[in-house]
Amino acid sequence: MAINPGYFALEALSSFRRNWVMSVVAVITIYLSLLLVGVFVVSGMLVNTIVSSVESKVNITVFLKDGAAAADVSSLQTAFDQQHDPLVSGITYVSKEEALNRFKQQMKDSPEIIRQLDTNPLPASLEVSLKDPKTVKQVVGEIKANPAFAKVIAHPDDPEKDLRYGQQIIDRLFAFTRVIRVGEAVLIAMLGLVALVLIGNTIRIAIYARRREISIMRLVGASNWFIRTPFLLEGMLQSIIGALLAILTLGALQVFVMPKVEVLLQFLHLGLSGAAMAQLAGILLFSGVAIGLIGSSISISRYLRV
Amino acid sequence: MISMKNVSKAYVAEKPALAEIDVDIASGEFVFLVGHSGSGKSTFIRLLLRELLPTSGEIVVAGQDVVGMRNWKVPYLRRNIGCVFQDFKLLPNKTAYENVAFALEVIGRSRHVIRTQVPEVLKLVGLEEKMHGYPDELSGGEQQRVSIARAFVNRPPLLLADEPTGNLDPATSLGIMSLLNRINKTGTTVLVATHDREMVDSMRKRVIALENGRIIRDQSRGVYGYGD
Repeated sequence: MAINPGYFALEALSSFRRNWVMSVVAVITIYLSLLLVGVFVVSGMLVNTIVSSVESKVNITVFLKDGAAAADVSSLQTAFDQQHDPLVSGITYVSKEEALNRFKQQMKDSPEIIRQLDTNPLPASLEVSLKDPKTVKQVVGEIKANPAFAKVIAHPDDPEKDLRYGQQIIDRLFAFTRVIRVGEAVLIAMLGLVALVLIGNTIRIAIYARRREISIMRLVGASNWFIRTPFLLEGMLQSIIGALLAILTLGALQVFVMPKVEVLLQFLHLGLSGAAMAQLAGILLFSGVAIGLIGSSISISRYLRV
Repeated sequence: MISMKNVSKAYVAEKPALAEIDVDIASGEFVFLVGHSGSGKSTFIRLLLRELLPTSGEIVVAGQDVVGMRNWKVPYLRRNIGCVFQDFKLLPNKTAYENVAFALEVIGRSRHVIRTQVPEVLKLVGLEEKMHGYPDELSGGEQQRVSIARAFVNRPPLLLADEPTGNLDPATSLGIMSLLNRINKTGTTVLVATHDREMVDSMRKRVIALENGRIIRDQSRGVYGYGD
């Protein structure tokens, strides 16, 4: 049985042309929903970059009292170096002088503050940096439990005063991104549903427009897949066009808009790698085709009795 | 060719459209199915095409069990059944030639087959002169000939006609009937559902009469009968 595959393509195309208004509406919906998906995915990737850059800055600072015994300090320092604690990526001792120098560096625009310092009010400290910022609490607990800790700090009865760590920043950041992600998922699902309904509707109209042909095809014994294929193709065609438009738009955003944003936010690198863009394009194309196939299948099973 | 055993079809439970139908139609027969509107003729035809499933009973058409048949096989059953209707069911945007060719295209026949068979069958129905006319340029009788050509182009062993002359004047009807008769002579089994009394009486073929969904008469070389 030699069926010209061009037949299906031609049927799908001519049907697309016949109901071009509905088809264009469906294409635009797919385009917008996939564009939003793309924007969300990209912003998700960017948020991840920001989170990890903040995360890398999270460390634990233990402030030491003036005159803490050097033996206690170094025993604490050894207990939390890379060799002894697998969660730690490094520990540094910051002396009072270093702390003052850092402070002077930070305050170099307001020399009057520095001039008012006649003694050095800053404590020495141990700065612990972590491999995984999520382990902050655990490491803080370990530090508190260390017997040397109570000996080197100024307030053994309230150790939180002598510790500083970024747990709260991290918690808030994670809560924030979680909310954004749930919001994204809901919005994407809703848009996907709208696209599904619109594609289903254009296919229903296409089926209605060709109902005479379909009844004759059934009569003379055209096989079910022969009758269905053009409609499936039409739905897929619409969603592929929408997906391609979305990919093009995202590409244009990446090329023309991102560099300007990067100029504004100098401390962050916002570019996406080519591989990430390709992956994004793949995701969009795949979800577009899936929406098109599902939408037209629903219409076919509901309105095309074969 | 057609065998129905104790077939009943009820759209609503209390009033069956067809009840306890037992019919055997041999290969090569020409049979009239007569009865008033609502007597069950169309239901009879639609059961043979498996557009409907019977409520009970067995139906075998062209050697295939219609009732137990899988859905995806139905198209292949229909390729063995040519079908002609009162309203012709032609596509208005296709010429006579294209209408007939369409029936072959959609079952996947090659272009070569289409190019040889379509003119041949249009010649058989006497339309070789007008094969490039559109349906609205053809008379009712000519449109029905196109529809018969489409039904017959695939040389099915069985041809069903549901009121094929219902929209036509008597002279044209006669032409259509003699065409169906000629097709029957090629060995094709022909079943014509009609309430065209004169036609049935003049042809003297086997007549199955339906009334209220039951067979009330089945005679070879019969007439339409009394009471219209």
